[in-house]
Amino acid sequence: MLRLALLPLGSWSGRFAIFVLAAVVLVAAVAPALAPYDPLANHFDAAGQLLRLDPPSARYKLGTTYYGLDVLSQLIYGTRIVLVVGITCAVLIGVIGTNVGLVAGYYGGRVDGLLMRLTDLAFGIPFLPFVVMLVALLRPSLWNTIVAISMLMWRTSARVIRSQVLSLRERGFVRAARIAGASDLRILYVHIFPNVLPMVLLYVAFDIAYAVLAEASVSFLGFGDPNQVSWGQMLYLAYVSGSIRQAWWWTLPPGLAISLFVIAVFLVGRNYERLTNPRLR
Amino acid sequence: MAFWRYAGRRGLHTAVTLLLLVGFMFVLFRMIPGDPTTMMLGTGELPAEAQQRLRVLWGLDRPLWQQFIAYALNLLQGNLGMSFYFRRPVSEVIAPMLANTVLLMAPVVILAIVIGVAGGSWLGWRRGGRAEEIGAVLALIPRALPVFWTGIVLLALFAYQFRWFPIGGIREAFFFPENWWQRLPFFDITRHLVLPVATGVLASVADPLMIQRTALLEVRHEDFMVLARARGLSGRAQRRLARRNAILPVLTYSAIMVGFAFGGQVLLEVVFNWPGIGRLMVDSVTQRDYPVAQAAFLMMAAVVVFLNLLVDLAYGWLDPRIRGG
Repeated sequence: MLRLALLPLGSWSGRFAIFVLAAVVLVAAVAPALAPYDPLANHFDAAGQLLRLDPPSARYKLGTTYYGLDVLSQLIYGTRIVLVVGITCAVLIGVIGTNVGLVAGYYGGRVDGLLMRLTDLAFGIPFLPFVVMLVALLRPSLWNTIVAISMLMWRTSARVIRSQVLSLRERGFVRAARIAGASDLRILYVHIFPNVLPMVLLYVAFDIAYAVLAEASVSFLGFGDPNQVSWGQMLYLAYVSGSIRQAWWWTLPPGLAISLFVIAVFLVGRNYERLTNPRLR
Repeated sequence: MAFWRYAGRRGLHTAVTLLLLVGFMFVLFRMIPGDPTTMMLGTGELPAEAQQRLRVLWGLDRPLWQQFIAYALNLLQGNLGMSFYFRRPVSEVIAPMLANTVLLMAPVVILAIVIGVAGGSWLGWRRGGRAEEIGAVLALIPRALPVFWTGIVLLALFAYQFRWFPIGGIREAFFFPENWWQRLPFFDITRHLVLPVATGVLASVADPLMIQRTALLEVRHEDFMVLARARGLSGRAQRRLARRNAILPVLTYSAIMVGFAFGGQVLLEVVFNWPGIGRLMVDSVTQRDYPVAQAAFLMMAAVVVFLNLLVDLAYGWLDPRIRGG
């Protein structure tokens, strides 16, 4: 188990990825101690004027926004949204996708037909427009965004898990369990589930990356939680205030931060992919 | 199973999917507070009596399922209702936007596939080398960049800093060509297309690239490739042969990619102020112009669903094994 967890450390790309992810978690954990200012506090200059678009300086290491807020503090607090979105979506997607896949693959027949039609339906919906529509109509909040993202994203893992279960249920150990009198639930969750777990983890890992990108996109379109500081929202405000022309210190950091996080997740996933797909070795 | 039976069943599934989507949207729009009489005119703008007469006139006093049937029948006849904001039929508002979206996304998809196939073949051919390892990691990067951020960076550099390209939109309101090449047809629109298309290609090139790479890896060890080597074909001719035989998965993926493009283009259109259907949806939902928002969403969903149907039918036509089950 420990060897499995340490697997990404075996390659330079994996070590880089683990370093980035650990940094994000650490920064999110100690954000209040690390951030120089309150991320939502306006700053003023000596004359009492709002400090709009002040370039990076010793006081404000990454400058200020058009609204006089400290960019560095916002960037630091943004890690919290990334973690909340990533982890919550991963859990929701993992639970829904795995169970749909397990039940559909194991029971087959009508149950399978119904669940797979549902999956097809989820695949037929354009992802971002759906999330935007739902969040905008239900009222923008972080929780609504997370729910809207998860409502569609389970589709991929459900399909993959189902196809795995289809072959697993014909295997000897499942038949043996059935002959020994194990109940369907026991076979599903005690015998089959551990065998699809690596696949679940792999797909959930990629979903973390896509969920974080989706949240950033929704926030960029202006439907982010108005009371939270997220990287997508920083870019939204930079864009709508017309500051992208000059304020590179405001637009570059959040974009780079999102990209770094997503790349790190992809790289970890890539390392585990070799494990589930021997052809890649 | 005969192809036509398979096609009929798939067609039925598609119809059910669309019906469910329409129903879901219908219910969703009924869940928000207020009804069309207040949304169109604002709360308290209308005497209660007049409002009640409007509600009867518009059929809002009837049970929800009757309203839904009326709505679905109207939809089938292409009647999408009136826009609250533009005060014009929704179909008139949407049609030009849909055309603009196609104008933007067609070059994106075509270029992404051409570049992806070329790059993927190159990577696949160099399997195991250091270049391939680095290339595979580099290919992950564009997929990890948020589309809107790439757009912002390109805008800041090439539109604001260097002033090579316009900062957005589809054409200049009063564009006066100054020399012969500016007088070329479509010069203005092409100029507006460059940055959004570049951003879109960067965002969508990774998938065709990786698919082509994998397909090429598989083709490389096929018998006909061994034969080609044995016959003494030049390296160039071998690569060409492998590339051609590996291209099928990318081609089937391309239809799915068009589906992804419809939906993902929302961000592109917003960043570059492109008057397409995605931006129309975002703007309409912000302005509470619900008939337009609803129709724009359904239009995008319909494109995705029909493309999925097309892919399935093509698969079923080419590979009879898929028709069963």
